[in-house]
Amino acid sequence: MDILVIHAFNGLLYASVLFLIAGGLSLIYGVMRIVNLAHGNLFAFGAYVTAWTVGSVFAGVHPGLLYLLLPAGALAAAAVGAILEPTLLRPLYRRAEEYQLLATFGLLMILEDVMRFLWGPYPLSGSTLFEKAGSVSIGGSRYPTYNLLVIGIGGLAALFLWAFVYKTRFGVVLRATSQDMRRASALGVNVNRVYVEAFTIGCFMAGLAGAIVVPSQSAVLGMGVDALVLAFVVVVIGGLGSLEGALVGALIVGVVREIGISVFPEIELAVLYLIAVIVLLVRPAGLFGRAA
Amino acid sequence: MPGTVSRRDLLAQLGVTGAAALAGSAAGIGVAGIAHAQGKPKGAIPDKPFRIGHMTFFTGPGAVLGEPMYKGNLLAAEEINAKGGLLGKRKIEILKADEAAGTDANVKEMRRLKLSEKIDMFMGITSSGNTPALGPAAEELKLLTIFIDGCTDFLFDKAVPNPRYVFRVTNIQSADGSTCALAVAMTWPDVKKVAHIHPDYAYGRNAFDHFTIVCKKLLPGAQNVSEAWPKLFSTDFTSHITKTLAAKPDLLVTSVWGGDYVAFYKQALQHGLFDKMKVATTLALGVAPHAIGKDHPEGVLAGVHANYHFSYPPGNRWPINKTFVEKYHAKFNEYPNFQAEGAYTATHILKTAIEKANKLGGGWPDEDAIISQIEGMMIAGPGGYVYIRPDNHQGYKDAITGFSKNVPEYPFPILDPNRIITIPIRNITAPPGWPKGEPTSTYTWIDQTWPTAKRA
Repeated sequence: MDILVIHAFNGLLYASVLFLIAGGLSLIYGVMRIVNLAHGNLFAFGAYVTAWTVGSVFAGVHPGLLYLLLPAGALAAAAVGAILEPTLLRPLYRRAEEYQLLATFGLLMILEDVMRFLWGPYPLSGSTLFEKAGSVSIGGSRYPTYNLLVIGIGGLAALFLWAFVYKTRFGVVLRATSQDMRRASALGVNVNRVYVEAFTIGCFMAGLAGAIVVPSQSAVLGMGVDALVLAFVVVVIGGLGSLEGALVGALIVGVVREIGISVFPEIELAVLYLIAVIVLLVRPAGLFGRAA
Repeated sequence: MPGTVSRRDLLAQLGVTGAAALAGSAAGIGVAGIAHAQGKPKGAIPDKPFRIGHMTFFTGPGAVLGEPMYKGNLLAAEEINAKGGLLGKRKIEILKADEAAGTDANVKEMRRLKLSEKIDMFMGITSSGNTPALGPAAEELKLLTIFIDGCTDFLFDKAVPNPRYVFRVTNIQSADGSTCALAVAMTWPDVKKVAHIHPDYAYGRNAFDHFTIVCKKLLPGAQNVSEAWPKLFSTDFTSHITKTLAAKPDLLVTSVWGGDYVAFYKQALQHGLFDKMKVATTLALGVAPHAIGKDHPEGVLAGVHANYHFSYPPGNRWPINKTFVEKYHAKFNEYPNFQAEGAYTATHILKTAIEKANKLGGGWPDEDAIISQIEGMMIAGPGGYVYIRPDNHQGYKDAITGFSKNVPEYPFPILDPNRIITIPIRNITAPPGWPKGEPTSTYTWIDQTWPTAKRA
């Protein structure tokens, strides 16, 4: 029984992080119609910044205060996003999609090299937060308390985002721009501003995901590309551009992966793609996707 | 083979040594040392730089192995250049190439380095996915090559069964799983239920196969009760740990390495995994010795790829190691791993071969002369003697593993100096002439020729 509870937590843990990454990717696509291939590396950037802040810069600080520094990575990724959108992406909106893909792919590689240049090839760890949180006992089995915190943050983020998009004035503008950019613009919406805000929020989510995984997993080169691929699996399942889709997609991937590892360890890598294939066959636009 | 051998006798037959013995025996072979005194070179030597193309991972998660490899090569080259270069004349020039470009691009880059950059030699390679593609390419290009790693048995079993230009210096991959299993049989003979967590690629599969076959011979009562195959370079092991704990094994065997291993042990600690089972690893302290924290539990079988840990041989017992570690640390402010040791030794193998060939023929030796000197060479490197087998061009050195221990001298755990385990390499690798087998020749050799231990 306790093992079942732990399996459920594991599934939620994985889903929480995936939702943050895929949700950001989907939000950006939904509003701006840009597939940001560098999204995974903003996740990695968030991880590196938090690991660096928590593990090196403020390593001696009281652990209670360290938890307040956790969002450093999210803020850093958001700042990068706020700079990138007007400088790199804005000149490309009028061009064919291939240019955007090329530009964001180039950005992916540049960011990877920047991180290697700044922090070197070795894993960067911010594990104090993970260790200080200790573990709780679930029916005699120990479970890291920090993992529960991650699940909580994932859940809260989903809630905030929902409230933000559906309950605020900015959310209305965001959705209007997403549905018809020209008409929104004609009605007086400052589209440039909406774009930079949406992109910044998307990057913030990726950075937050990086920040919350780093205490238990450490920051390593290449983590961004892995995260990007997983985020694509999630949005393919959920439907690109849909936040609900990202949430449901992340939950499906989290649960199926957990079952896969326990029951069919040999096909752990394939199982996620299998789900994506099935969804694509049944609903080509994804579970919550809008047919083009 | 007679079937009634005891486990203890079998371990003794295999020469598994648990004392802090000196690695290697070099009876009957002229051993070259790295600090080998060299007379004046014979004949006229050109002063054209000797160009080495060094390809390894400089980007991506593999850089954790690639960087030290390059640094080992660099350190040796600087030592040699400080004395004027190869044969006192030809300075070594290293051209870097990034292995992370992908296998096809790597083959193209090797061609480019040879044809456009006119490199004299190729060195490097971390991934076992790349050596089987680059090996045949080097043979075709007639390019003298010493692979540092990419240690898959497949390279000389199948991809390049009769090498002429290609060599490899670090131990063959199968030695790693076998060494781990022998150390387990010696240390924890009561193990009955074994769980596995291995990265899902060639190395993880190889470690699993060879651990399992050796375990079958030495601990026939033991059974695999759980397997998990996380993706290489993934750092989330929560689910794999839950699965392992649920199987309630006596022992966990894992070949997870690098940043993956750091994440793994930190997560395993919070799940209390180390309190519930013994843990045996193949690469825990092998990749970046300084990346493991003092929170890492002591007494874990902490593998070093069956190759090298900078703390062994200790003190001044093997001065080459002491000097190497000191120089490396002074230059790079970190401790060398098996890749650094491999690349450093490989560069000195090259130097020694050129010097010997010069003594015989005078002038700058041609490639054939250098190759025939590398074949069958035994050289003392920082980790002990390395022997380059003439038939398959594979480097062999005695396998080593040990147990993690915290000592005041280092801010990270090292191998417990009182519990080093060494195994003569010839006892755990298929001999020359053994027929090619599946999954490896060493696997079929162990399966067919080792007796099964019937009692303790």
